[in-house]
Amino acid sequence: MMNRTGTDIQIAICGSAGDGTIASGDILKRAAALMGFNVIAFDVYPPEIRGFGKCISRVRISSQQSYSLKQNSDVLISLNDTHAIPHVGEVRDFGAVIYDDNLIANVPEGGHISGHIHPAQIPYGFSIRQISEQATNSARSRNIVILGYLAELFDLPREHFRKIIRDKFATKPRAVTDDNIKAFNAGLLAGSGVFKLDDVVVQKVDAKGNGADAEMMTGNGAVARGFMEAGIQCYFGYPITPATSIMERLAVEMPPAGGKFLQTEDEISAIAAAIGAGYAGTRAATATSGPGLALMAEMLGLGVMAEVPVVVVVSQRGGPSTGLPTKTEQSDLNLAVFGGSGDAQRIVLAPTNVEGCYRCAGRAFEIAETYQTPVIVLIDLYLSNRYETVIPSAHKQFAAKPRVPLAPNGDGAFKRFELTENNISPRAIPGEEGLMHTVTGLEHNELGRPNDAIHMDMNTKRHEKLKPAVNFPGLTVSKRFGDEGKVKVGILGWGSTFGEILETMYEAQAEGISCAAMKVVMLSPLPVESIAAFFADCDEILVPEVNYEGQFANIVCGALGKPVSRLNQTNGAPMAVADILAEVRRLSGKKPKTGQSDTFTEAAL
Amino acid sequence: MASPIHHVIIGSGSAGFGAAKTLRAADQNCRVTMITMDSLPFYQRYALPQIFRGRQDWRELLEVPPAKYDELDIKLRRRTRVVEVDGSNQIISLAHQETVAYDRLLVCTGGRSYLPENLTSQVDLIHSFGSYEAAMQVFKDLPKGGSVIMIGGDMIGIDLALTLLDSGYKVTLIANQQTFWPHDLTAKQQKPLLKALEAKGMIVFSDSRPIGVSDKCTNSATRCVTLEDTTEVLGDVVLSFCGLSPAVEFMLGADVDIERGILVNPELRTSNETIWAAGDVCQIWHDTEKTYKFYHGWKNVRMMGELAARNMLGGHDIFDVNVEDQIGVEPDGQLKSTFWTH
Repeated sequence: MMNRTGTDIQIAICGSAGDGTIASGDILKRAAALMGFNVIAFDVYPPEIRGFGKCISRVRISSQQSYSLKQNSDVLISLNDTHAIPHVGEVRDFGAVIYDDNLIANVPEGGHISGHIHPAQIPYGFSIRQISEQATNSARSRNIVILGYLAELFDLPREHFRKIIRDKFATKPRAVTDDNIKAFNAGLLAGSGVFKLDDVVVQKVDAKGNGADAEMMTGNGAVARGFMEAGIQCYFGYPITPATSIMERLAVEMPPAGGKFLQTEDEISAIAAAIGAGYAGTRAATATSGPGLALMAEMLGLGVMAEVPVVVVVSQRGGPSTGLPTKTEQSDLNLAVFGGSGDAQRIVLAPTNVEGCYRCAGRAFEIAETYQTPVIVLIDLYLSNRYETVIPSAHKQFAAKPRVPLAPNGDGAFKRFELTENNISPRAIPGEEGLMHTVTGLEHNELGRPNDAIHMDMNTKRHEKLKPAVNFPGLTVSKRFGDEGKVKVGILGWGSTFGEILETMYEAQAEGISCAAMKVVMLSPLPVESIAAFFADCDEILVPEVNYEGQFANIVCGALGKPVSRLNQTNGAPMAVADILAEVRRLSGKKPKTGQSDTFTEAAL
Repeated sequence: MASPIHHVIIGSGSAGFGAAKTLRAADQNCRVTMITMDSLPFYQRYALPQIFRGRQDWRELLEVPPAKYDELDIKLRRRTRVVEVDGSNQIISLAHQETVAYDRLLVCTGGRSYLPENLTSQVDLIHSFGSYEAAMQVFKDLPKGGSVIMIGGDMIGIDLALTLLDSGYKVTLIANQQTFWPHDLTAKQQKPLLKALEAKGMIVFSDSRPIGVSDKCTNSATRCVTLEDTTEVLGDVVLSFCGLSPAVEFMLGADVDIERGILVNPELRTSNETIWAAGDVCQIWHDTEKTYKFYHGWKNVRMMGELAARNMLGGHDIFDVNVEDQIGVEPDGQLKSTFWTH
């Protein structure tokens, strides 16, 4: 693995729904961010709303920038052995496994996690349940007891945890906070005097680190933040995993800021209302997932045809159909880029990290307004739910520019769809005096009146106007990383997978492989020139994607007419660095490394 | 197809690991499970004094790399306490409420440090050296060049004391009957050996037994041991090395004969035909002397483990003491003991 200086550890907490696993991970990541560490975190939870499915919260804490979760955790904490046992293999050699060694019910042979810990891993058993019950008269605080134990074992600042615990339960009765602080302190006590045998080290962070400037955000939170900073005025949505939290956050934040928020009866209504609001001149958006986007496809076509600015966030999950609602996938690319009837090109942006979600969502309105067309911000469950420390912009960089009113043109004579040199027509807002015009989903002439004969010209206009978008100011549409000039292997990626791609590239470079990586944020229109330049520099091109068909590889091959090597996985988990690295080694002619496998398997879900 | 035979070994030291390897070498299909309260895989306990020579990383003390257990398909269960063995139904109960069934059981839990009864109430003030963690705690609590008070001074302790002296620490030995254990020596036989230790710089008290340990000391020392004759011995760390007492409590309901240790015949089989015992935990029938005897020393212990394993697989090998019990002073003044043969 790549040599990193300073701290770089990953802690996985595994339990059953109702154990407080995700809450525990949430406190851990927020405390780590408060300590000044860079944090990336991702929670996996079951699709059932109620029940006893498996929950895992993984938190990567590093003093240097990280780009993805690590394949091997340094620490695994079990709140439920049945669920945690399949994940013991995820812990690296000389890492720690923390568990309850004082169960209340008999288990058959193999039912306790201690029987599955590898000789190179370090077992730390203690009476988690008993300590929780002694501290709070309830076993429900087990998830907080383990945090105290963790803080003591790795000498993490206690006050940061206590602050986050107080913040988290601030809206609850005081006794809840008190109990959780007691549970945390009891965990501390349990950890004191434990002889540390693992080699997991957490170094103190420079006080000037991210500290108070950094905010913990999920991709969905960052989208909502970007929307708010862009001055979103209207949001219409229908809940669907994994996009729902965007809507939940906007429901809270928009009304006080003067925005209009409405939960509609379905996705079709949501997109229709958003297009209507966009047509009316407001900054309007909706968010959905693949199944919702499928329903929205027809209305998106109207947005393209009527040249209405609107922003649609799509967070992908496993599909088709209801598919894998709580598992990540990148398989809605075709639908986002091509979905709908006719030649309905739209702009598709795919951020690669949480900060990118913030920037793309914030910038999307301006792009939509500039090119008078729908803009899709395409993310996925891994990015939606992934936490990262982000330092948001101090100034409102996404705010709308004042609109220059058009001169009245005489009702009926205003050419809303005028064929101009740059293919962008003058846009009037309904109700503006002297600018009355017709808008329809039928093909239309410059005045907006139905007309079949002009279809070729209008198709040309709607496609050509988007081409300059690849040079849109203030937006990174593509970017190359790694070795400059000619390289042996180039890795081309998009969306959330790019974090793993970057980690892979650094690993490959550390192994002496000449390697570069390129992220493509604008997937439609495609920044063909920069991709072609990248292809020209690389002996081999690898395109890893979390979809079966290699949807992005197909688009790129079609655009450039050159073959690529593909790596496609659809096991519901983010792609493994080890798997990408194996392909890079193969393409570079380097022999595969042997040793501890760090590939996510089905058990990693 | 019949289930593979499940061999369970309680204990993961020299005898236990030797047995596990022997079982696997002879039967590729059987299950081998080792259960231990230790946190670490089998490491060289006799090398623990090396901590004071810079070998503080436990990985340097391992007998075999952790991957060896996988290679040999030996399941190692650490930090796992056996609370009961049901010898009739062949079931082991673990403290965390799990049960493990066995076909054949080998007990080689060794012994734990014996502490003179009159000092048990001050146990919190006395360091242990029985595990890597305990040894590291001594290393952390003992200031560089500091002073150790050693009560007893069995052969494990003497080994440590010589290393400490060699590494610039001070050692005060409060000798008693257990000094040089397991060598069974009279006071007269001890004398030349103690002199040899004094010649190496050790301070030796041999005429008065300790009656108390305190952390209320008259000077900067953190520990004070009071002797019967009111002498106060000052130091930084107090260690007790008074031999081992077999760890057999969990075997009380196992349907095996126990005296001080688990009683076994020369084939190391207990009175229960599915249970064997080896190492410091067992007393072996000595046909000539018509009594059960302990046999200590690393080489003996390892040999016992291997022998027990062969007999668990149907053999009838007889234990023949490998190393005769001998201790003496070499012409160059060095102590030499068969206990240290490894």
